[in-house]
Amino acid sequence: MVETGKTTVREEVLTVKNLVKYFPIRGGVFKTIVGWVQAVDDISFHVYRGETFGLVGESGCGKTTVAMTLMRLYNPTSGSAYFGGKDILNIHGNELRNLKKDIQMIFQDPYSSLNPRMRVKNIIAEGIKTHRLATSKQDLLDKVAEMMEKVGLSVDHMYRFPHEFSGGQRQRIGIARALAVEPQLILCDEPVSALDVSIQAQVVNLLKDLQNHFGLTYVFVAHDLAVIKHISDRIGVMYLGKMVEMTDKRNLFNHPMHPYTRALISAIPIPNPELKKNRTILVGDVPSPINPPSGCRFHTRCPIAQAICKEQEPLFEEKSMGHFVACHYAK
Amino acid sequence: MLAFIIRRLLILPIILFGVTLIIFMMIWMLGPERLIGTYVKSPEALKSEKSVERLIQKYGLDRPAPEMYFKWLGNVLKGDFGYSNVGRQGVLQSILELIPYTFELALYALIPVVFVGIWLGVIAGAHQDKLLDHGIRIFAIVGWSLPDYVFGLLVLLIFYSYLKWFPPGFLSDASMKVLRDGPWKHYTHFVTIDAILNWRFDILWDAILHLVSPLLTLSYLWWAYILRITRSSMLEVMRKDYVRTARAKGLSEKVVINKHVKRNALIPVATVSGGMIMQLFAGTVIVETIFARPGLGRFTATSAVTLDYFSVIGAALFFSLILIVTNLLVDISYALIDPRIRLS
Ligand SMILES: Nc1ncnc2c1ncn2[C@@H]1O[C@H](COP(=O)(O)OP(=O)(O)OP(=O)(O)O)[C@@H](O)[C@H]1O
Ligand code: SF4
Ligand SMILES: [Mg+2]
Repeated sequence: MVETGKTTVREEVLTVKNLVKYFPIRGGVFKTIVGWVQAVDDISFHVYRGETFGLVGESGCGKTTVAMTLMRLYNPTSGSAYFGGKDILNIHGNELRNLKKDIQMIFQDPYSSLNPRMRVKNIIAEGIKTHRLATSKQDLLDKVAEMMEKVGLSVDHMYRFPHEFSGGQRQRIGIARALAVEPQLILCDEPVSALDVSIQAQVVNLLKDLQNHFGLTYVFVAHDLAVIKHISDRIGVMYLGKMVEMTDKRNLFNHPMHPYTRALISAIPIPNPELKKNRTILVGDVPSPINPPSGCRFHTRCPIAQAICKEQEPLFEEKSMGHFVACHYAK
Repeated sequence: MLAFIIRRLLILPIILFGVTLIIFMMIWMLGPERLIGTYVKSPEALKSEKSVERLIQKYGLDRPAPEMYFKWLGNVLKGDFGYSNVGRQGVLQSILELIPYTFELALYALIPVVFVGIWLGVIAGAHQDKLLDHGIRIFAIVGWSLPDYVFGLLVLLIFYSYLKWFPPGFLSDASMKVLRDGPWKHYTHFVTIDAILNWRFDILWDAILHLVSPLLTLSYLWWAYILRITRSSMLEVMRKDYVRTARAKGLSEKVVINKHVKRNALIPVATVSGGMIMQLFAGTVIVETIFARPGLGRFTATSAVTLDYFSVIGAALFFSLILIVTNLLVDISYALIDPRIRLS
């Protein structure tokens, strides 16, 4: 339980501690390990029940890896994550299978994440059957139909194949599929980034409605702040496998403390050119997670970096109530 | 679907016509002096001075190519494919007589290729980079890199010369005698099946002993081929997002592999199997020759070597027919297993 600025006591649904995920790089004749991709390196955050926690960062910073590891689709290198009183990074067998009823994931690409040889009905029904949530065949059918209605799909399309739907509709199938097992927490990995801009808002609004209706908790991944700003309650900013700043949305936009966050905020398109003056434009490319920079990983691109930044890694600390930052010169 | 099948069947005669034309031209280019061999039934016929010229004239080999071709085509349409010197009877009769031998060999090769090949490929794919996978891959690499004639000779060397387990040929002399003089009824002309129906398990066993080496030679390459295709297709599908989706549903690994990975991984296997079946039939040419078995393959090889051009054209037509029919079957099965394909 954590006391926050709003003086309400909120329950932490998910508490991630020091999560590390390295991918081995194999090479040579015998495919031995020749190096590691440090995709996620020592990340901690927590998510409150009923909120939307936004996870933001440039492409390749490890957002998907965080979600996949929590979903146990990747094996964690180290760390722990508490959900429902259990360390979900350290469970196996039946317990692990049951976890996939309580935590679900909506994938980035609605085109490739649905099995092309299965009809919509079976795609949605499979999870319900696996977790024995239906009492009879008819009940199963009713549940599938209900889910399709809830996400705005026509029940008449139950026996169609995924390729007969548009991108937005496919993502709705993906959402129905995730919701069907009655989860508490849904990890949404850039659920709208593959969709047309005109459809993005519809899907985001659908997710919001469903959250209210079912009392869901979301971890919502995105690579820019524009979408995140709309849907999140609290936001974590990632850079090259590290969490650099985390606080509630108001705070983050009004008092960003990390120079990377400030750069991301000023990158949001603003209609009024007058406000563009104080923009921080990032120069240079994101360094490789195979050989990340020493000290603060952001120092190669940071506009205010000093000598110490190259040598010493800043701690991820609570600088003010509920506002965590990793920067020697946070202000 | 039905319209598609009918359309494909309508194209069939056109393709066959093209095949005859091409093969006829290749043979015609050899010139009448070489072609005359087909018509010479004994060396004595060539003894007299002008006999060659006379024969060329008699059989019309000096006529213009179109005339020769259409004369032959006209006969074919009447069901007369010409006389086969190799078969010592009509081409059609020779081919019809030999079909069961080759089909028996090819079918017995095909069944293990498809089932064992896919099975091994699935296992290797599901256990990528584990010991089992490495073992299966070495087996595949060897099979894929040995040409069938080399492998066939190797098999002959080991199992016939050295171990003396499996003899070459079709059947032992004793069994052949039974087939010729009885008591023996030809029900299917597949010797293994007929042996069972005739209740002659000694002949069945004899036939199996003679089948092992050719089957091994004919199928090893294609085991390796199907296995490799299945394995790489498995690996590709396993990286697909929808397999992650399946895992995210909480399905057991077995269900994920069988229901989500395998079904999708078999689609490319179905597409290559048409070509494979054709190549398998082509492989009978070498295998039947090496192991001295009667059949269409050896018939084609001998006909080609002796420039028995009626026989060559007949055999080519027949192989084209197999090719077209298998391709049609493969296209149909492809549409059945992949809902994204519309036959139109
Ligand atoms: N299965 C994997 N094997 C090896 N490296 C991987 C694997 N998955 C991701 N990576 C690497 O880990 C890093 C983080 O990848 P990740 O997909 O988590 O980033 P992301 O923040 O989701 O990016 P994007 O916005 O492009 O989706 C990248 O450098 C990526 O190349
Ligand atoms: S620690 Fe240094 S380099 Fe890193 S963000 Fe802060 S100022 Fe920039
Ligand atoms: Mg991603």
